[in-house]
This record gives sequence, structure tokens and C-alpha cells, in this order.
Amino acid sequence: MGSQSDPVIVLDRLTKRFGSQVAVDALSFSVPSGQIVGFLGPNGAGKTTTLRMLTGILQPTTGTARVCGLDLQSDALESKRRIGFVPESGAVFESLTGLEYLEMVAALYGIPAKAARERIEQFIAFFDLSFDTLVSKLLGAYSKGMRRKVVITAALLHNPAVVLFDEPLDGLDANAAVGFKTLIQTLAREGKTILYSSHILDVVERVCDRVIIIDKGRLLLDGAPEELVATHQAGTLENLFTQLTGGAELQRRAEDFAKTFLP
Amino acid sequence: MNAADTNRVLHRLFLTLFFRGRSSRGLKKQTPVVSIATKLRVILILYAALGLSVAVLWRQSIFVLSSYLHALTFMFVGMSIATSAGEMLFNDEEADILLHRPVPERALLWTKVSVLLRVSLWLAVAFNLTGFVVGTISPQGSVWFPVAHAASTSLEALFCAGMTVLAYELCLRWLGRERLEGLLTTVQVILSVSIVLGSQILPRLMSNLTQMHLDLHGWLLYVLPPAWFAGFDDAWAGTHTTLSLALAAVSVVATGVVMWLAFGVLADDYGTGLQLMNEAAPRPRSLAGRARLAGGRTLDKLVALPPLSWWLRDPVERASFLLSLAYLTRDRDCKLRVYPGLAPYLIAPAGIFLHRGGVDVTYFLAFAGSFLAQGTMLLLHMLRVSQDWAATDVFRLAPIAGPAPLCNGARKATLVLFAVPLAVVAAVAVWLDHGDPGRLVLLLPGVIAMPVISWIPCRKGLAVPLSSPPTGGPRAARSGLSYMGIMLGTLVLVFASVMVWQAGWLGWFLAVELVVAVILVMLMRWQAQAARWPVID
Repeated sequence: MGSQSDPVIVLDRLTKRFGSQVAVDALSFSVPSGQIVGFLGPNGAGKTTTLRMLTGILQPTTGTARVCGLDLQSDALESKRRIGFVPESGAVFESLTGLEYLEMVAALYGIPAKAARERIEQFIAFFDLSFDTLVSKLLGAYSKGMRRKVVITAALLHNPAVVLFDEPLDGLDANAAVGFKTLIQTLAREGKTILYSSHILDVVERVCDRVIIIDKGRLLLDGAPEELVATHQAGTLENLFTQLTGGAELQRRAEDFAKTFLP
Repeated sequence: MNAADTNRVLHRLFLTLFFRGRSSRGLKKQTPVVSIATKLRVILILYAALGLSVAVLWRQSIFVLSSYLHALTFMFVGMSIATSAGEMLFNDEEADILLHRPVPERALLWTKVSVLLRVSLWLAVAFNLTGFVVGTISPQGSVWFPVAHAASTSLEALFCAGMTVLAYELCLRWLGRERLEGLLTTVQVILSVSIVLGSQILPRLMSNLTQMHLDLHGWLLYVLPPAWFAGFDDAWAGTHTTLSLALAAVSVVATGVVMWLAFGVLADDYGTGLQLMNEAAPRPRSLAGRARLAGGRTLDKLVALPPLSWWLRDPVERASFLLSLAYLTRDRDCKLRVYPGLAPYLIAPAGIFLHRGGVDVTYFLAFAGSFLAQGTMLLLHMLRVSQDWAATDVFRLAPIAGPAPLCNGARKATLVLFAVPLAVVAAVAVWLDHGDPGRLVLLLPGVIAMPVISWIPCRKGLAVPLSSPPTGGPRAARSGLSYMGIMLGTLVLVFASVMVWQAGWLGWFLAVELVVAVILVMLMRWQAQAARWPVID
């Protein structure tokens, strides 16, 4: 693990095109070790595409990305060992039980079975999951919240240096969400680097050391939340976000719509 | 972690997914988890039991015995692989689960292929167990038969798996991601339907064969892969004729070429394919495409025109009709469930083409009529099941007194999509091949029974489209029982109609059937309109 100032995630003019549509447009930024970065943007801004390129799921059209000094294309397998990813979809193999799924994931990272079971039990205790449920029921029968807890566990089982969260709180109840926020702050204190994409801006404001706002695939703003809010005299991160991404216009249209159609 | 460990983990994963299915969405929450070893045992016992049927060919030649075994092996193994391969090879959720983990893409392909091959061999061996014994000790058997048949069955399993993988790889190579998802489904449906048809037609052709003298439609027999593998057995353990040697050579060469293409030449496209599945952003529509959308879909236009606009006056019925057709033509799960299930009903028109004159055509026509009725009911049952069943709460939220118009819309969709085209195909088959349109009246008993049978599931409001989760249990068993009842009823109708036709009383028979049908339809229609929403269990 490098020092606090060493960049662990480095994006250099990272670009992704789907046909003629540019989803991510020459995006560059770096994140040092132990930092929690809120990765924000309106729908279709390119957040998920960026995260999917950072995990190796998508290949960039041009540009490079490095994680822990490893190039994501030339050192794909080694860089993937250092990344944990919680996808927005929360996809799992629904025909496996929770335990089967987690043990399968642990095996893919080369964690010995005994150590994997111990780690799984720690996460079960943390997330207040029932071991019986994890053993006896297929993931398809889990509630959305339980499934999300399994996906988060699967992302953290191998103790990755970098964790990418794409809407991780989706489906979690209030208590689990509070616990989760504490967990990521603890992870950052232990030197993990966290990129946190979410639409819940007050959580981002409270948890993140820094926010990066993108729109139409381009970087709009990068800095500490309190500094950005003060510089732009926005009052809150939510106000700043709506100023930057055209949210004020949307708000006006919503008011007009409500007056016209729902008098 | 070394490559062997990764392969072992992936192998176990894909074997589990193969036997448990793609997803358990919609399963009852209390469903116990069944181990794959138990599932495998049950499946192998079932296949071995099905293989017992070969005993009826005790006195047949090695070629006839082998053709039967290979035809059914081709169907069972091919169906099993074709229905699982799409999800296994190109699961669009797999990227979020596996592609960000340290797993080489090539290892993904090889472990999937290895699982497909291994499972197809297990199934093939289980089904052929009785065949090995019969081919060895029957009057025309040979001690070499088990060895020859084991080799040809292995070749056939490799051929099935290779063909399936090749079909998907070719789609990837020739077509971009834009149409990949829809095309993969179409390929899977065509593969399944071809396998069912290919294996069903062969035994029917063989009913005319006693020896290797294949003077009747022999060419058609030889282009079907099961005949190549039967030729392999015959060349090794049977007559050793030039023909069987040629067929054996074709089986070996064809399998080799398919394996070389699927697992050699095109294997590198697999990683690209998985990436393409995830590039979800759509390409901007062309001007022509935008113009088409602005003008509405062809189906919407058709529904707005007579005669469909007269037939679908009720807006709820029309909405259900359009929803049903949309799922039957677009939804991957729906198409994969429905079309292979309906494939056997194409046997009757195919049989009309394949037989010249005689009583067979009479029965084929009568069966084609009864298949119209059976198929419509089966389609309604299948259309009721969907992964999106929870979305049908919208029907209960809407101000609709009961499910009758929704059931009726779905019923009409099944008539338009299945019954009418099948009736036309059967009629054209008779017209072209026999030139005796008078026999077409034998379709009528089935045509008259069709509305009666299609109303049966509607009468208690049980045919609401897409409203049931894909699950087994008592409800599926009840549907199965009622379907068996319908099959028996239509079978009686087939034999009765042929008998009265031969006696010259078909006109009277049709008149009576028509009156009974009208009364039954009116009663069931009334019952359906009175039905309220079924309780959700």
C-alpha cells in the first residue's frame, strides 16, 4: 500500500464511445490511497460506464486507467485482484444459495475455504444476516436488501485495496445503511480507496472527502464538498449539483407540469 | 490462484447453473434447495427410462435400431444443450458478476464448453443404456455394437454441443451487438424447433423402412445428422455397406469440422461477444426507423383496421391482445418456452408432405385439426407464465371488474399467432401435395373444437397473460392434468371424425359438433364474464 498521497486510481483521458455516441469523454482524474470520493452526475452522465471501465467489464475506446499502478488492459487480472465492485444491478447467480455464491467468489480470488468461511461469517454477523437462510435458500428468493448485503460482502471478501460502489444503498434499510456508511469510513481509515457513485447527495456530502461531478461524460467539478459548496455559494451539495447539471430547469418544468396536468 | 483452481471453481459453478437453471426468480420462497447430484441422478434415471422404448425394435437391423437411438439422442441431448446454451454462453448479467473478477475470458468459454460436453455425454449414455444391450443380444445384433455405438454417441454429443456453440459464435461474428440479444434468442428457438422436428420426422420416415433399401425419400434421411451416426454403427457393427461407410465418414468429418470451427477458429470471438453484451447504449435510430416509430408499429395499424378492429372492440381485450403478441414476438424467456413447446404440432403438416396418399394422410389431416385445438390451449397455458408476472399487478389495480377481457385478448392472440397459420399451412400442404381439397373437411372437427377448448382456461379467469411465475407445484400439475384430458378428448375426436368420414356421415357429425360447440362456448363465455380475480397464492 502506498502513502496517503500516492494515486491509487488514475484515469488519463479515458473515453468510451458506443457507435457515434460518446458516453465518457476524455475523463481524467486521480484518487490517492485512503480517500472516499463521491462520483456524481445526472442520469446518463457516464458514471456507470466509467466504473465498468475501471473494473475491466468494458474496454475503453481510448485513454488509459491504472489501479494500484497496474494498467487495466495490460495487467487485467492483477488489477482485478485489487478491486472490489458493487454493481448497481446487484446481479447474482440466483440459482445458487447465498453461501454457495460467496464461497464461489472467494475461490475465484484464491481465498482458502476455511479463511473464506471465517470472513463470510464476519460479514454475516455485521450485516445481521441469517446463516440458515444463506445456506438453505437460493438467492432468487432473497429480499432486495438481503441480496444487496450479499453483493457487498462478495465485493469485500478478498480485502481489496480499491472498492467501487455503484448505488450501494439501493434496497438497504435505514439501519443497514447507517452501518454501511460507518463501514466505508472505517475501510478508508485502513487505507482503502473508495469511489462511491450515488444519487443520494446528503449521504455523499457526509461521507466523502471529495466529490467529482461529471455530465455528458465530461468532468465538471472536482474538490472537497464543503469547499465546492462554499466557492459556489450553493448552501448544500444538492443545490450545487442542480445548478451544475440543469436541475433548476427540471424543477421549473416539474412545477409547470404539475400546474397544467394536476391542478 | 492458478489456472487449474479457477477452472475447477468455474466448472462447479456452471454445472450447478446448468442443472438449477438460469434463475430462480418467481420460485416459492420455501422451495428447498436440491443438490445438483440429486438432480443429476433423477435426470439420468429419467433418460435411462426413456431409453427403454428401444426394446420394441428388438428384431430390427442395426441401422434401424441405431437411427432410432440417434434420432432421440439428438432430440433429448440437443434440446437440453440448445435451451441452456444461450443463457450459459451469453448471460447478460454475467459481466456484473464475473467479468470484474480475476477470471480470464477464455477460461470462461472453456469451462462452459466443458460442462456442455460433459453433460451431453452423460445424458446420451443414460438414454442409450438399453440400446447397448439390445444392439448386442438382438437377432441382428453384434458384439461390436456397444463399442461402435459408444463411439458414435460420443461423436453425436460432440456434434450437438459444437453446433450449438458454433451457431452462437457465427451470430457474433456476422452481426453487431445491436441485434445480438434478439438474434441469439431466434437462433436458440430455431435450434430447438429444428431438433424437435428433425428427430420426430426421422422415426416416421423409418416406419416405412425394414432394411437398408431406402428408396422412399432416402435423400431426406441422409441429410439428417442422426442417419450419419447410425451409418457409423452400421459400418462398424452391421452390414458394412458402401452406403453405411459413406455415412460414417460424413459423421466423423462433420463432427471434426464443427469442433474445429466452434472451439478453434471462432473461440477468440467469445471475449468480444461478452463485452458486446454489455455495451448497452443503443445506436441512434436511422431516419427511416424514427419515421416508422412515429407512424406506429405495423401491428398497431393492423389492429386499428377491419377485421381485427371489429373483433377487438373492447379496449381491454385489445390491450391484452397486443401485450400477448408483444411477448410472443419479443420476450426471450417467452419465446424460448413457447416455440420449442409448439414445435411438435408442426409434425402433422410435415407428415402430409412426407406421405403420399393412403389412410395416413386422412389421419394426419384429422390430427392437424385436433392439434389446432390442443396447441391453442397449450399456448394459452404457456403465455400465462412469465418472469415479469409481478408486473401484472397493474391489471388488478386497473378498474376492471374481472379477468375475462384479459383472458379473451390472450385467447385471440393465440388464435391469430398459432391456430390460423397452422390451419393455413395444413390446407396448403394438402392442396399442393395431393390436390384433393375435399379431404380438407377433416380439419373441421378440430377447427370447431378450437374455440371451445381455448375458452376452457378462460372460464375461471385463469388465462390472464404473463400472470404466473415460472414455477412447478400443484398449479402446474393441475394444468398438466387438464392438458392430458384435452389430449385424450381430441384423440377421441380424431378417430370418431375419421370413422364417420369413412362412413359418409361427416356432415351430420359436424352439424352436431357445431351446435354443441356453440352452446359450450356461450356457457363458458358467460362463466368467464362472471369470474372475479383469482386469489393470489
